[in-house]
Amino acid sequence: MSESVIGVSRPRVDAPDKVTGATHFAADGHVHGLLHARLVLSTEAHALLQRVERDAALAMPGVVAVLTADDLPLASAGSDRTTEPLARTEVVFAGQPVALVVAESEAAAEDAVEAVVVEYEPLPAVVDVEDAMLPGRALARVLEEDAGGGDLESIHAGVDKGQEDGEEEQLSGNVLDTVHRNAGDATALLETSDVVVSGTFRTPWVYQAYIEPQVATAWLEPNETLVVSTSTQGSFVTQRELARAFGLPLERIRVIAEPLGGAFGGKLALMEPLAAGAALALRRPVRVVLTRAEDFQATNPASAQVTHLKIGARKDGTLTAIAARMIVDRGSNAGWGVEGITSLLVAGPYRWEAHEIRGYGVQTNRFTFGAYRGPGAPTAAFALETLMDELAVELELDPLELRLQNAVVEDDVGVSGNPFPRMGAVEVLERIRTHPLWQSRDSLPDNEGVGLAAGYWPGGNEPAAAVCRVNQDGTMTVVTSAVDMSGVNTGFAAIAAETFGLSPDQVRVVAADTATGPYSGASGGSKVTYTVGKAVLKAAEAAREKLLAAASDELEIAPADLEVVDGVVRAVGAPDHSITVAEISGKALRFGGRYEPIEGHGGSAQTRGAPSVAAHLAHARVDRETGEITLLAHVIAQDVGRALNPALVEGQMRGGAAQGIGWALYEELVHDENGQLLTGSFLDYAIPLAERVPDIDTLIVEVPAPDGPFGAKGIGEAPVIAAAPAIANAVAAAVGIRLRELPMTAPRVWATLEESGA
Amino acid sequence: MEHVRPSTLDEALEGLAAPDAKALAGGQSLLPVMKLRIVRPSVLVDIGRLELGGVHMSENELRLGALTTWNELESAQELERPALAALAECASGIGDLQVRNRGTLGGSLAHADPASDMPAVVLALGAQIVLRAASGERTVSAEEFFLGPFTTALGPAELITEVVFPLVEGSGSAYVKVEHPASGFALAGAAAVVRPDGGQSVALTGMGGQAFLLASDANPVDALPDAEIYGDRFAPVEYRRHLAGVVARRALDRARERMEGTGE
Repeated sequence: MSESVIGVSRPRVDAPDKVTGATHFAADGHVHGLLHARLVLSTEAHALLQRVERDAALAMPGVVAVLTADDLPLASAGSDRTTEPLARTEVVFAGQPVALVVAESEAAAEDAVEAVVVEYEPLPAVVDVEDAMLPGRALARVLEEDAGGGDLESIHAGVDKGQEDGEEEQLSGNVLDTVHRNAGDATALLETSDVVVSGTFRTPWVYQAYIEPQVATAWLEPNETLVVSTSTQGSFVTQRELARAFGLPLERIRVIAEPLGGAFGGKLALMEPLAAGAALALRRPVRVVLTRAEDFQATNPASAQVTHLKIGARKDGTLTAIAARMIVDRGSNAGWGVEGITSLLVAGPYRWEAHEIRGYGVQTNRFTFGAYRGPGAPTAAFALETLMDELAVELELDPLELRLQNAVVEDDVGVSGNPFPRMGAVEVLERIRTHPLWQSRDSLPDNEGVGLAAGYWPGGNEPAAAVCRVNQDGTMTVVTSAVDMSGVNTGFAAIAAETFGLSPDQVRVVAADTATGPYSGASGGSKVTYTVGKAVLKAAEAAREKLLAAASDELEIAPADLEVVDGVVRAVGAPDHSITVAEISGKALRFGGRYEPIEGHGGSAQTRGAPSVAAHLAHARVDRETGEITLLAHVIAQDVGRALNPALVEGQMRGGAAQGIGWALYEELVHDENGQLLTGSFLDYAIPLAERVPDIDTLIVEVPAPDGPFGAKGIGEAPVIAAAPAIANAVAAAVGIRLRELPMTAPRVWATLEESGA
Repeated sequence: MEHVRPSTLDEALEGLAAPDAKALAGGQSLLPVMKLRIVRPSVLVDIGRLELGGVHMSENELRLGALTTWNELESAQELERPALAALAECASGIGDLQVRNRGTLGGSLAHADPASDMPAVVLALGAQIVLRAASGERTVSAEEFFLGPFTTALGPAELITEVVFPLVEGSGSAYVKVEHPASGFALAGAAAVVRPDGGQSVALTGMGGQAFLLASDANPVDALPDAEIYGDRFAPVEYRRHLAGVVARRALDRARERMEGTGE
């Protein structure tokens, strides 16, 4: 038997093309007769649209059309970004698309955007999410419209809505959704706990900052099929959204997901309704490409959140109860928010005797909320893991031992009311315990500290299918409709190769589109490897059965006595009795051939979750005079189930940690009191640059997921979650201050140091 | 918009005489503002091929051509001496490698962004800035050159050709900044020169509308009234005022260490 390909580091299958510039991204495609659309964005955060004056723009050379909502063949009167891609009568955030200028060239469209004059009747801008909740406050949307919805929420994690709420709290109409989770008498238990700590934690709007700005191209085929070529995380979900927007049957819409230049949750059906609407209206191909400035204003970053949290424990360190009130700023998103997920994850990977958690989804005049890697999780972890650290101090317990003592194990019931599946919370903490950085935490120079934090992501599920086809030359093509995000295709190649009996370089993975491919959900929710990967495994098994049946016939040996090694079928124990996969395939794929094509179809419908947990150690130095924080080292230990390709797993862990460092120290979308964006470029919006991210030590912990392919689970989101609180706890260890707001910028650290007199 | 690429200085100066003409050197300041459509030149006079570069050291002065890039400043061996260390130190902290490969000394000074680094260094080192127009050449001191945010003594048809630094043997210099986490520009930056006769110069940048030389007896914390200190979410007025004291002290300490040979 040749060596397993599972657990072996290999380069990403998409790497050579990306590195050499051969990859064709969504904005690269040549389309005959293509028109270029540029957006006219609202300059008001909240207003009624009075008039769009387009004559001057239309008179400019090369301009074909200036389109407003009325010009698009929209089917319904919804108010979400799918059904209202251009504002109809009310604009609800500065940067909302109001009109599309369509021209023969990008330059002509850009010039003409300046000539479009939009008249607004301003309304009060609702920007303070806590104030917006209060009864009687001005509404962020004054005209009643159907909230729409679609199925974008379910992409990220299957989260229930908590219990039905018996009590009626007086709230304004800006509160679009409330979630209540409770069990036991948390209030009473907190009153009798030996130690209780509490705080109010604030986190800002955060931009996904993908490299490739949003882009979509749409055209009509002569048979009236609407084709959309786009940078998206999901082709089928985009197809459904377009059907909803324009009232078209699914079979008339073909969505092609092009290679993705980064997304992190942010690329789901934002641009496609604009491009498709314009193409349907003008009956010519139309491309919408955002500039970075437009992408900052007009897309869907992660929501800001305010978390009031209180937790208690007994003297021996046993956690008692958790009480939380979590206010999620959805901006203009009436369809969904993270109040469901964040109110689940605020309890962390710990056991509680009682809980009382409320989540609120509140509309404001800021952006449209969208998903960003682990939506609702970093915000919850910042609050909980800061307080866990404070609890350890109050209890005079080691912060790692406190977490370990209360860490969930399989079948512990969480605040969801459901038992936890197998998850390595204990294992990752044990791994951290022995790390030299943790061991050295008490012998550091002045103003340096090491902080610990942990967090988990429940993982998502969605049925998926895949096809494995053996070609005439004995190589295999794996066909899925999953968008290759974070290297999932490379994992599919390993799964198919291992299952079938090929080497990974004999396997190619191709992405099909909605017209041609087996079903797959969007790439998101840390579910692709777990669900589509499982379908690939089953497809490879099915193909292998066909192969063995044919080989059995050729070799006159029972299938059970055959094995497949590196593209050769041979008798177990008698390797001279063999035939190559290519020979068999050659006998199948020809006129008058003898065997069915060596091809398998597989599907999966995972029902159990496969949560991934990660613990972080951060080593920080604080400059007391300037407030600047320097990260000296960072460690992440993550339960990844099984590392199909350790190099890729480590890449995900590093990338997640780096984005967590962004949450901790840099990233913040800020509006002024009128709802105008103040940080709309990379000159104002800071991200963790390579020079500021230390080497990240990755510790892979493998607690296999029972249903995952080879024990693998989704790992993309868990590594971002607890990086920020680990850094906050390192700052506390270094200089004794606790920041309650992210990011921990130099002026905030300095001001907190000044206040504390530390 | 017209783009011209003159091969001689005289042709360039002729091109700049057109209304709304702009000189393009490395493009690291001009192109971003053109992209934002804040500046719309009628003629772009691309001076990139003129012979205006180079590091020229003589016994008592250093002459830097206007087209000297940050990367050249960073790596010039002639500048590896305590008296001029602030120049390379400052250049190495500007932007990223791509910016430093393109961005030029003259371009940056002409742009006069109130938070850019190099104005503080040319002020502290007492540089003279050589300006050329079709009508002739003049020299202004760094102090006379900076007039306000994005405003200098440079006339519309003038070009910076050289920046001349007096050499004070035995002195030490340094540049220290706290940078904006996104742009890398100075929230507060200080260039300091310490001379063997006990004299010292400190210039601050990033504080307000322009970089400025601190009076010899002034406390950097009190250098500006509140009204003249820029305050924003990255650096509220009180914080920026506080930083002025920190970076000035650190720059002076480092300059002194260099003068005394006790530093790096």
